[in-house]
Amino acid sequence: MTEVLSAPSTQGQPPARDVLLDVRDMRTYFHVLDGTVPAVDGISFQLKRGQTLGIVGESGSGKSVTALTIMRLLDIPPAEIVEGSEVWFDGREILSLKIDEMRKIRGNDMAMIFQEPLTSLNPVFTVGDQISEQVQLHLKAPRREAWDRAIESLRLVGINSPERRVKQYPHELSGGMRQRVMIAMALSCEPKLLIADEPTTALDVTIQAQILELLKTVQQRTGSALMLITHDLGVVAEMVDNVVVMYAGEIVESGTVHEVLLEPRAPYSMGLIESIPTVEKRGGRLSAIHGVVPSPFNLPPACRFQPRCPFAWDRCKTVAPALYPVGSSGRRARCHLHTPEGAGRLSAALETHRQAMTVGRSLPGGSH
Amino acid sequence: MASDTEQPQPGGSLEDELLRRKEEAGADYEVNLESLSQFQLAWRKFRKHRLALVGLGILATFIVVSIIGPLFMPYAFDDIPRPDKIVHAGRGPSLVHPFGETGGLQRDVLMLVVNGARTSLIIGFSSMLIGVTIGTIVGAIAGYLGGFIDNLLMRVVDVMLSLPTLFVILIVARFFKDQRDNVWSIILVFGLFSWMGVSRLVRSLFLSIREREFVEAARAVGVRDRRIIFRHILPNALSPIVVAATLIIAGNIIGEAFVSFLGFGVNPINPTWGNILSNALTFIPLGNWWWPLFPGLAIILTVLAVNFIGDGLRDAFDPRTRA
Amino acid sequence: MGKYVIRRLVQAIPVIIGISIVTYAIMLMAPGGPQQRFSQNPRMTNEQREKFVKAWGLDQPIPIQYGRWIGILNPDEEGVAAFIGPTGWPNFLPTPISGAENGVLHGDLGYSIDSGSHVGQRIAQAALPTLILAGFALFLWVALAILLGVISAVKRYSFFDQAATVFAYVGFAMPTFWLGIMLIFLLGQRQVAGEMTGFFPISGMIDTRNSPPFGSDAYWAYFGADPITAIKDIAWHLVLPVTTLVVVSIAGDSRFVRASMLEALSQDYVRTARAKGLSGRVVVFKHALRNALLPVVTNIGLEIPFLFTGAIVTETIFSWPGIGKLTIDSITNFDYTVLMGVLMITSTLVVLANLLADILYAFVDPRIKY
Repeated sequence: MTEVLSAPSTQGQPPARDVLLDVRDMRTYFHVLDGTVPAVDGISFQLKRGQTLGIVGESGSGKSVTALTIMRLLDIPPAEIVEGSEVWFDGREILSLKIDEMRKIRGNDMAMIFQEPLTSLNPVFTVGDQISEQVQLHLKAPRREAWDRAIESLRLVGINSPERRVKQYPHELSGGMRQRVMIAMALSCEPKLLIADEPTTALDVTIQAQILELLKTVQQRTGSALMLITHDLGVVAEMVDNVVVMYAGEIVESGTVHEVLLEPRAPYSMGLIESIPTVEKRGGRLSAIHGVVPSPFNLPPACRFQPRCPFAWDRCKTVAPALYPVGSSGRRARCHLHTPEGAGRLSAALETHRQAMTVGRSLPGGSH
Repeated sequence: MASDTEQPQPGGSLEDELLRRKEEAGADYEVNLESLSQFQLAWRKFRKHRLALVGLGILATFIVVSIIGPLFMPYAFDDIPRPDKIVHAGRGPSLVHPFGETGGLQRDVLMLVVNGARTSLIIGFSSMLIGVTIGTIVGAIAGYLGGFIDNLLMRVVDVMLSLPTLFVILIVARFFKDQRDNVWSIILVFGLFSWMGVSRLVRSLFLSIREREFVEAARAVGVRDRRIIFRHILPNALSPIVVAATLIIAGNIIGEAFVSFLGFGVNPINPTWGNILSNALTFIPLGNWWWPLFPGLAIILTVLAVNFIGDGLRDAFDPRTRA
Repeated sequence: MGKYVIRRLVQAIPVIIGISIVTYAIMLMAPGGPQQRFSQNPRMTNEQREKFVKAWGLDQPIPIQYGRWIGILNPDEEGVAAFIGPTGWPNFLPTPISGAENGVLHGDLGYSIDSGSHVGQRIAQAALPTLILAGFALFLWVALAILLGVISAVKRYSFFDQAATVFAYVGFAMPTFWLGIMLIFLLGQRQVAGEMTGFFPISGMIDTRNSPPFGSDAYWAYFGADPITAIKDIAWHLVLPVTTLVVVSIAGDSRFVRASMLEALSQDYVRTARAKGLSGRVVVFKHALRNALLPVVTNIGLEIPFLFTGAIVTETIFSWPGIGKLTIDSITNFDYTVLMGVLMITSTLVVLANLLADILYAFVDPRIKY
């Protein structure tokens, strides 16, 4: 039921009708002076109509590049979308669409909200201009009608006296208000998919909650699907149905939000969740994942998390783990613990995690 | 153009770059931090800037030619080599006269260009020195003292910048037309009208630098104003001034050429790239292209060279670029 | 907005006063001084001579001479009373109030030492040809610089961009007068072995064989009779001087636009615009260019003086009968009064152009608070 990963669908064939977004083996590489960066390295997932999906990871894990690849907003070159990558959206493969066709989808069926509302809005045009421009373009609405619609969408996102706000410039609005404008803009053409890339990171904590609440209500009201990109597990817990955890360009775990947050099965997700400070863990030592994200030019040969993993053994240095199924619910984790070879170590690892969650001490295996 | 931050990648191929990074990664940290002075560091970067090196080469060549060139020439620039065979429109380039001969007096264009180099370069550099000196002093005073003095000096700069400079220079240069040897008067005039940009630059640098901790520290221990300016602030302001200076040289070489071309600049007893052209306009309709072409190319090459050097210096002094 | 404009105008006043002082000082430095020059002019009548001496008070101390020239002091009075105009109001106030008619403030720039005619009139006569030349040049200059800069930025590192870079470096290093000379050789009409070759006229702004001198009453009659031919004639004469002015000017500016445009194109709002599904053209020319032009506006305002000096150069080479040519002629003849008038007017125009650029900037950038 919670088929986050692609069901074994055939390359080149559209997915089932209820699947809005189907990403298959997508690889996005950047060719830069120092070499090639596999920013996204073979990820696959699905998002059904009206559902919400969270993509979680540290900065540099490839989650934003995933969104920009789907929107086809990357400059090519330096980016390269590797042959064989497929993104099916609403029954069409969009990576191979002509750019004119893609433009008709962008902002219309598929809209995106960016992290920095101040810099993401054009400083020299009024809020109304920026929203109605999009409406005029996609809905072929006349100027006046588009303007009215801009006012309506501002009202929808809870902006008071939208008739006045619509004539203001971005610098005249507060941070939270700007992000509401971004959301209003994204929703103005009633998209089927809304991609939000760290929509609350740049905002005050109190405003964050409001914006998340808003995203949730408008998403429910308009019935659009939501792809939420964040590094904040708290946000994920509140907002999404399914979760994909990314590390160094790969998906390391996927499942429902309950499964992944409450019973993580990949060591990386375990570490992420353990590092959240909670009241229960007070007094204990805050755990953190040891080491740093590997350089994209110099990735570990097999498992990319192995140098930082407290449970790693010889096999992890030589054999790259696949995304192995965990249990029968369709969830998956990229770790040898879930193979017959690692079965013996699995229970110990789970026990360590359980203890870390209750008494809050650092993971064993750390060198200090 | 000065504000163009997007310069083509200075020197160094991809392989160089990778090699360098490898060295950097492997190098001992202590060694990397070996104390290089600001200028040693800048020179290291400058050497990597290919166009700047080309510019330096061109400029050096011109300087050498301007010094020793006249000594090796078969005759002086104002000789009329073949008075018996005057062709009114002049003669085109030939083996004996590779740059051709002028119309009218039948002078050798190569001689003129070689002899003109010296005065043109002297004017460019000397007037720059005067302008930079005045500009630095004015800017330093304004930026360091602030308040009323600053306001007054900056209004003066506003006034000077509002005057069409070349225009004023033309008028003032005319005053010195009656002196026979007026090179230094012309240098003075150009110097007196090229300090405004530098003073604005120095002032803004002073305004930002004087707020920095090390100046406050110096002041706290009782160092006198003059010493703070010359020992503590100026060295830090030096690099942008040097870059601005190159632009002044380029501008004044062109400006002098124009003023002299019009006949109000340097008197023809000292040939410059401008005054040797003063009659060329009359002969152009007769097809005498070689007369203006070669002195003009000399100006363009020199100005290009100076601008390249300026670009190189800007990158070299920019702490954001790596050595 | 109105307040801002007024504040900026008030700020410009000391600068203009400074300009008048510098202008006056330059002329005082002149060898011989105006008096010597003036006494040698046989073409001036006694009456003019008297009026000139009176208006200028050449026997007076320098500050008083300056005060009268600028129009603060009433030349008919002495001491403190000189500050009061004929009607009893301060002398510097406009003519209808103060009754004063002397000095720059009241539009009186004095008489040409050389020809005895009104300086104001001579400048006015020369202004139109210069405005035609500079106006066209400015228009093409701004339009081409923006076009070149935008294309270079959008197609960064392309062949076009690299060619534009080379063009910019060389154009920037090229003396305007030299380019003019070479254009005359390459494209100008001249006789080769008795045959006319080339395309464009190289001198003047009208074909003197067919039409009366520009600016005369006869010319305007001729112009009115067949405006199309007359305009064509001027346009044809404009080609070389405008090209000369424009090539050198756009060299630096296109790089400035390119840098500004690259900066704008890298901003988040450009990504937003693309995410909205806008076409590349709209993204570049609406969203990015509008922002990229903000610094360009100021830059162009600052370069207006260059247009004047550039005009002097081009007018001299192409015998264009404008301010530049008037200036050069006046310098040659030591015609101080004309030079002072020209300096005063051009510098004031520069100040006003900068002011206009600032106001325009405040107008196009909504973030500026007045």
